Amino acid sequence: MSKLGNDLLQCIACGDCREATDFTSDPQKWGVCVARDHTPGFEPYFGRGKMQIIRSLWQGKLELSKDMAEVLYQCPTCNACAEACAYDIDNVTFYEALRAELIDADCGLEAHIPMNKAMMELLNPYERDNKQKKEWFQKLDFKVKDASSEKAETLYFVGCTAALTPDINPIAISTAKVLDKLGIDFSVFGEHEICCGSVGKRTGNLEAFNSVAIRNYELFKKSGVNTIITSCAGCYRTLKIDYADFIEDLGIIVLHTIEYIKKILYEKNIDLKNFGITVTYHDPCHTGRNSGLTPLYDEPREILKKIATLVEMQTIKENAKCCGAGGGVKKGFPELALEIAKSRIIEAQETGAEYLVSICPFCYRNLSDAIKALNSNLKMVDLMELLNQALV
Amino acid sequence: MTNIKPVYREIENIIGSDYVTDKDFMKAAYARNVDPAFPDRWADIIVRPSSASEVSDIVKIANKYKISIVPRGGGADLVGGAATEGGILIDLTRMNNIININETDFYCEVECGITWGALLSQLYSKDLTTGVLGPGSGFSATIGGALSNSTAGFGSTKYGLVPDICLGVEAILPDPKGTIIKTGAAANKYAKPFCRYGVAPDFTGLFMGDVGTMGIKTKAYLRLFPNSPYKVQRNYILNKDNYETVFKLMHILQKEIKDGLHDLYINPRVVVQLLASQAERKPPKRAKISGPVFMFILEAFEERILDVYIEQVHKIMTKNNIARTFEWQEIDLNLELAKDWNFNFKFPYSYFNQFVTLAPGKISCTTCHKIPISVIDDKKKSNTNFDNENRANFPAQSFSLFARSIHLLPNGHCIFAGGFNAENIDEQRETAMNMWHKKLHHQVKYGGVHYWLGEAISQSIVEADAYTPEFIQFFKDIKKIVDPNFLLSPNKFHMYSYEDDISKYIIKDEN
Repeated sequence: MSKLGNDLLQCIACGDCREATDFTSDPQKWGVCVARDHTPGFEPYFGRGKMQIIRSLWQGKLELSKDMAEVLYQCPTCNACAEACAYDIDNVTFYEALRAELIDADCGLEAHIPMNKAMMELLNPYERDNKQKKEWFQKLDFKVKDASSEKAETLYFVGCTAALTPDINPIAISTAKVLDKLGIDFSVFGEHEICCGSVGKRTGNLEAFNSVAIRNYELFKKSGVNTIITSCAGCYRTLKIDYADFIEDLGIIVLHTIEYIKKILYEKNIDLKNFGITVTYHDPCHTGRNSGLTPLYDEPREILKKIATLVEMQTIKENAKCCGAGGGVKKGFPELALEIAKSRIIEAQETGAEYLVSICPFCYRNLSDAIKALNSNLKMVDLMELLNQALV
Repeated sequence: MTNIKPVYREIENIIGSDYVTDKDFMKAAYARNVDPAFPDRWADIIVRPSSASEVSDIVKIANKYKISIVPRGGGADLVGGAATEGGILIDLTRMNNIININETDFYCEVECGITWGALLSQLYSKDLTTGVLGPGSGFSATIGGALSNSTAGFGSTKYGLVPDICLGVEAILPDPKGTIIKTGAAANKYAKPFCRYGVAPDFTGLFMGDVGTMGIKTKAYLRLFPNSPYKVQRNYILNKDNYETVFKLMHILQKEIKDGLHDLYINPRVVVQLLASQAERKPPKRAKISGPVFMFILEAFEERILDVYIEQVHKIMTKNNIARTFEWQEIDLNLELAKDWNFNFKFPYSYFNQFVTLAPGKISCTTCHKIPISVIDDKKKSNTNFDNENRANFPAQSFSLFARSIHLLPNGHCIFAGGFNAENIDEQRETAMNMWHKKLHHQVKYGGVHYWLGEAISQSIVEADAYTPEFIQFFKDIKKIVDPNFLLSPNKFHMYSYEDDISKYIIKDEN
């Protein structure tokens, strides 16, 4: 945090990160901070308050505490605050640095300890045997190359959520099928796949993050891979941005499966079946605001418009409301994560769409939970699932 | 010293444990506004009520324990208005509902914690507007804060200041009963809140520009106007840096353009030069910045009427070669051409970001004040002379301007929106604060009328000996009626108790 010191003063405390509502903007902006909307809403629950706390800590006016952590971790690190900021502050960089200091001071959340420990020891945060990551393969009717022993042009990095959650396995299965249908030469690490470490990075556990990042570096180097594609927004952001220093010398390109496949569809002029359904689309934060300079707003939409009728929600693209799962909130504050997701489902319902589509297994999971909690008729689906069926 | 624990417990019983806090990190988060000239100030208790009755109950508790209260809206204040050392800080942003928009009779009723961006987003969707769009911090600033600070903003050239659109308020008086009153037509319990005058003396005025000293505003009734579908921006640069010319043009424009003038902002030559030097994409050929730039926003309900306004403005501005048309791309290729400009909220609510602090991370000591347009040239010179004479006393490497922009208001006056910057470090804070007050004294003494007074400016007006003893006594007497225990927003206007003699804060010999 001390390295960010002078950058901290960029924050003039204007409060635009609280709720910048703008009917005239394109896309429209209807609020900023989803955490603030669903919590007692004091200043530390949104960007400005956090920045003032960080400044006070930096200036020695405040000490770290578990009480502080209890509030500061109620933030999915969606970076909507950064999007609203008139001074181009990358808020999440500060929040993650603060979380790292909280953990160093033994003030991190108890709820995050098991998942970060599991990430280091079991190579996934779900406290499961990593061998279970190969179980979804059995639902394929073709063989997938093992990246640890076979060369391929492209590595499909599945991510722990899709690989280990039976309800979300269809994302991995659909992705593999799409790649196979398109004749892509790809491999997966399967049971050898190591968690990208996103969970550790977002919750401030740099020991956990670094341990898997270093191991992934070795794995990628040994495999000789040039292109990594992933159907998880969280892994996408982590591999593309947080691993940038780690894998710079390996010259690896990181792409989301949607941007990778969209390019192929267009180059090969491949037809897609139109299902005649109405869909709406949720922009994951990690392929949008948190994805660096080239957010993936248009690519999923261009594909969706070929296979369905797309009706947009009130908040989309850079102003999309977060699903509420990220930043350790799903684990640390499951009720808060659910409440935020419920608001997003209500927004989706207002479009009249039959399906809610996204490109992130973690958004999929939290939004599915909210659909169930609200008894909604909406059906949650990943774009890869639709693409798999749309490829004639 | 007041024992805070029982106060906390009683408030918790009213408001619930979720919405009251006394944790250190919470206090740190509320320690300041957009005013780094001030040191951090920590309240004892911070509360987020949801209704006027909760506010009233909190006021009753404060009176019981004689603990001070400071209301806070968006916290976007630049002058130490909504922070407090000790006492109860009331965060009113939870009270942010729109109660009613009456499209037929052109008024609305809102809770004071709603932001300008949120209110106008709803109004614009119905082709309505408040006319004056609130302060430049409108994405986070609240209706209540703008009323408390008599702010101006985009739209003020035509529609005046924010209090000019206020038809009445619901306010909690800081008395032991936490009395809730309504003003304007709403004071007539049989009437709708559709107008301001005629029921009683204009007590709404008591709460306008009061800087939170007279009552806690919980609701506001605001005039609405149809929103014009046609707005354009046009810019002109004077061929000479002459402020007598600026005044004459302002006068003619007010007479001849009038309803078409949504806004007229004038950026001084030195400001345009500064912006040019900081441009991200400089044009290949350096523009000649010969004088101040006039930025017009013109509006009309029919396109042909707008065309007439555009033509009239052009005729006035280019007569006798006084000015030429100007495009902002002459200094920065990233800025859009006037023909491509479309009005959106980001324009008024981000416009001043570049001026609040020309280099982020600085202390911004704003001295925005109003003067008659006939004395623009004189006061520009007065400010510039002050800056030159006091150069050695300003914080090191600070940057002071008579105005970063000049905003034309109705009825022949304007705002000099200016101030100076300093480094945001403790070593410069005291120097910055001293010079800030000194510059404010100078402006008060030449007849400048400030607004968003907060702590810094309200105190400076007292120090400059602007008030007669009779006025001060009148002020105290009125405040004593509404706030007998002197709890609400102490420190402003150098008022610390009713017994305290304010005249001792007058600074007689500044030099």
